[in-house]
Amino acid sequence: MSSSLEGFPEGQVQFDLERGAASVRVDSSVYPLEALYGAAYVFIDRAYVLLDRAEGDAYRVWISPKKPAAEDALRALLGEFANELLSCAWRAQIAKDSRSIIEQATTRALGGARGAPSLDDLESFDFSDESFEDPLGIAMSWEEKYGKKKGAEGSEAKAAPAGAEAAAAEGEPTP
Amino acid sequence: MTELRFHRDLYDGQAVDEAIKTFDRYATIERAEEDTHWVVRLSADAPSRERRVAGELANFALGLTIRRSKSAT
Repeated sequence: MSSSLEGFPEGQVQFDLERGAASVRVDSSVYPLEALYGAAYVFIDRAYVLLDRAEGDAYRVWISPKKPAAEDALRALLGEFANELLSCAWRAQIAKDSRSIIEQATTRALGGARGAPSLDDLESFDFSDESFEDPLGIAMSWEEKYGKKKGAEGSEAKAAPAGAEAAAAEGEPTP
Repeated sequence: MTELRFHRDLYDGQAVDEAIKTFDRYATIERAEEDTHWVVRLSADAPSRERRVAGELANFALGLTIRRSKSAT
């Protein structure tokens, strides 16, 4: 068994050509267990993977190609595993950092999915709060912007009864 | 005989049991327990078959452990 492999730090890897297997020591303070699981899962379709604890606060990963492989292929496989492990560790860190944002978004989505508010909810809702600032005055309703002025409504209202009276006098039905 | 040692911190015991049940018909398998590991001893007719069954059993146990750890979180 050899304890050095080109491209890897001394003592980090063990290399057993007879068994066609190699192992790498993984520091658990650098790589979380979920990253180790993620990287191992990627490789179980083409290699046999066995995890173990190593001396100190570390894991040891044994990896052996399903088909017999030469030293170069074994070295390449171990290198790919190390890269995948780094990728999984980074993804785990991103997921950890953005967990609160994901939870907030999920909570808001679920809140919106509860459906329309009930009459009791609406009754207790405080509509007096300004929802947003409108310094340019563009948040105006259609009625406010294009509706008939109060004065015009009043004059039409006064004119209508006179027309109705005239129609009634001529015997026509009023609308 | 091939011996597989599954560390209790890293492998789910039920996953190891299920893996043993699944591959029981392909090899003679014994299960033992230690303080830190579940130990599986396995022997088959041919060395190549033994290597293959041992490797697939280990992968199966690892895959189940990972799936269960995902569903638990």
